[in-house]
Amino acid sequence: MEPSDDVALDIIITNVVAVFRTRCHLNLRTIALEGVNVIYKPEYGKVLMKLRKPRITASIWSSGKIICTGATSEDEAKQGARRLARTLQKLGFKVRFSEFKVVNVLAVCSMPFAIRLIDFTKNNRPIASYEPELHPAATYRIKTLKATVQVFSTGSLTITGPNVQTVATAVEHIYPMLSECQKPLRK
Amino acid sequence: MLSGPVKAPVLGTGFHTSLGKESRAQTLQNGKRQIHNLGSQLQLNQHCLDTAFNFFKMVVSKHLTRGRKMAHVIAACLYLVCRTEGTPHMLLDLSDLLQVNVYILGKTFLLLARELCINSPAIDPCLYIPRFAHMLEFGEKTHEVSMTALRLLQRMKRDWMHTGRRPSGLCGAALLVAARMHEFRRTVKDVIGVVKVCEATLRKRLTEFEDTPTSQLTIDEFMRVDLEQECDPPSFTAGQRKVKMQALEQELAKKLDEVQGEISLYRDEIETELENSRPKLRGIYAAYAKEIDPLDEVLSQASCASPREVDPEEDEELEAVAQHLNQDFLCQVIQGEKQGDERGGEGGTEEAPPPPPPPRGGPSLASILGPLPSAASLGLSESIQECIAEDKDSDGKSESGELDLDGIDDKEIERYILNDKEVRVKTDLWMKQNEEYLREQKEKEERIAKEKEQGTYKEKPKKTSKKREPIRASTAGEAIEKMLEQKKISSKINYDVLRDLNSKVGSGNSSPARPTSTEEPPSGPPGRKRLTRRKKQPNKTNMGLATTASIMGKRLRPLISSAPKKKRAASQVTPNLTPAATPALPTLSSPPTPTPPGPTMVESGPVAYDEAAEEEEEEEVEEPCVSAWQLLGGNEYGCEAEEEEVF
Repeated sequence: MEPSDDVALDIIITNVVAVFRTRCHLNLRTIALEGVNVIYKPEYGKVLMKLRKPRITASIWSSGKIICTGATSEDEAKQGARRLARTLQKLGFKVRFSEFKVVNVLAVCSMPFAIRLIDFTKNNRPIASYEPELHPAATYRIKTLKATVQVFSTGSLTITGPNVQTVATAVEHIYPMLSECQKPLRK
Repeated sequence: MLSGPVKAPVLGTGFHTSLGKESRAQTLQNGKRQIHNLGSQLQLNQHCLDTAFNFFKMVVSKHLTRGRKMAHVIAACLYLVCRTEGTPHMLLDLSDLLQVNVYILGKTFLLLARELCINSPAIDPCLYIPRFAHMLEFGEKTHEVSMTALRLLQRMKRDWMHTGRRPSGLCGAALLVAARMHEFRRTVKDVIGVVKVCEATLRKRLTEFEDTPTSQLTIDEFMRVDLEQECDPPSFTAGQRKVKMQALEQELAKKLDEVQGEISLYRDEIETELENSRPKLRGIYAAYAKEIDPLDEVLSQASCASPREVDPEEDEELEAVAQHLNQDFLCQVIQGEKQGDERGGEGGTEEAPPPPPPPRGGPSLASILGPLPSAASLGLSESIQECIAEDKDSDGKSESGELDLDGIDDKEIERYILNDKEVRVKTDLWMKQNEEYLREQKEKEERIAKEKEQGTYKEKPKKTSKKREPIRASTAGEAIEKMLEQKKISSKINYDVLRDLNSKVGSGNSSPARPTSTEEPPSGPPGRKRLTRRKKQPNKTNMGLATTASIMGKRLRPLISSAPKKKRAASQVTPNLTPAATPALPTLSSPPTPTPPGPTMVESGPVAYDEAAEEEEEEEVEEPCVSAWQLLGGNEYGCEAEEEEVF
């Protein structure tokens, strides 16, 4: 999904996190013993199952709540989640696929210019925060969208938001502010 | 808790009102004390401390202290002040003092700044230069070196080296160069000790600076001239380089593709010829081809398959794969040409993504398979590709499907599930791996069952709280060991001191006295109590146990104020070890060894005290410590201690 301005920026979605419920109690030990690609973590009380086709890692709890991470698109997340539910069904549990929700989307984007972080922070005082001692990027939180953008001095952005649309909107939102504080290229 | 004004009129429940007032006042008082404590260690002036206290009052009134450690909040308030006043204090300093992870403090700090709407100005590395220069001891020329370093820093800023970097790293690099310019020999190690970054960072900064045109100037030129040209940030140039590399790689890949295209052309030609010669086998190819894929998966997943290396070269791979496939197919396979088919299937697997299964034995088959390696491989490749295409179809279906079952390839999912034999194997493995955990679970269940019978079963999950049994040990060392294992009960006792004492005082004290001897300090005069309280917090950490255990049995300065300082103390104190016996930790249970230190300790008591005092003063500006021996007042407190029962 690209913003609809003159510049075509590549927003690459790197991670989509989704949750869903199976509405039934799951026996983690059975899953651990009969599943092919599972890791059982008894101290955390969950099972990690990794799927290959959509590359997805799922944390499965015995209450039936499952968190799916590693997908590269919302559709893929849903597909992977359904596959997972099907696998669990085959293992013998009465699985129902309910309350699927994409919780977090992480995307990266690269500006064709470098950015002066200190000026950027000064212009956007309370919303943006920059602590070089702690993290090399300036963090810009958009409350209305519930999205966070991390701006690096090289011009790369890391955007996290609740869905893909929000991420695109966030980039559009922040682009003008960034181009104000851009550093003109010399070489 | 009352949220109203402190001076609210006393209403009906006067008792509660007064309590609420006190609680808030107490919190503020406590906070003030801690601020002063911490602030004086940082050498902040009174004005800063007052401002910090104001921040703290605001924080408390906004209830931001809830759920956070007071120490963190105090540190964050102090750091806020440092930032607004522009003092050269780093968050790292604060975290050093508190022994807390700097990122945790940073989180608290950011949150407070956000909630209090305090926009602190960004850190300027120039602020740190005078401080670090002072620490590096340039003597009279400190000012000059500082100025040079400042100029260097400004140059770095213009060259875009400073955005997104820790200011201390830049300072370090600037100071290092400035020092060399003024002919001071400061090694990288000196600088990193002062600046608190790691060597790699410093070297990287220096390299980056080297890349800028400024580095080409001589010293005099630098002082006079300021280059106009600005550079791009180094990570940006690195990024550009990466992009170029990727472009190059793409070109290479394209060329490779072309070459591969030629190879596949040849292959196709051979294929078509073979097709003409062997029409019948195609059907069987297809049948076998379908079986190959699931088998591949199963074989690769089976835990009993021992991983063996698969040669990357084509022919060897073909043979190896052929061998293993033959093992399984033998019963189903017709000899001769059919074997050629399977080999062909394996050849096809090269093109297909499935991993080549590990080869098994069967060298004799290789000889049979020797002739015609290429023939069958090409024939099967197409059928393998058909297989892959099937998978892709199933993917497409699942994307469009709406319900759970639609479009999900059951076969593929079944691959995710092991069959019975594999389940058994995996169960065994898992059981072995998690034996300890399973054992614990069993014990827990038994315990609960037993308690249910007794009627004392608690619903809450019990924490493994050990019963406080009186320590019965035959030797000093054993007693100490047992005590060390026990959880620390009182925070008002400096356990480390006691342990050392126990080892030194040794056989003189009988074993029952040993556990009670831990209570001696609290019975000391208030002056000592003050000291012990100071050590309260760090002693709570389990770190203390490990470190003091390691210095057990060595002659130590009697009072070691805190766990981390202990570590430093340990290294500092080792040179101060008296010639008394220093049994190592493993030899704790050696009764004879404590006796010689016994008498010697009396003599060198005051000596140890002096050393302790010196070291203490070196580390911190705190009141001089009293030696533990003096704390104990010789043996006269032994009797009193026995009367008290802290455990």
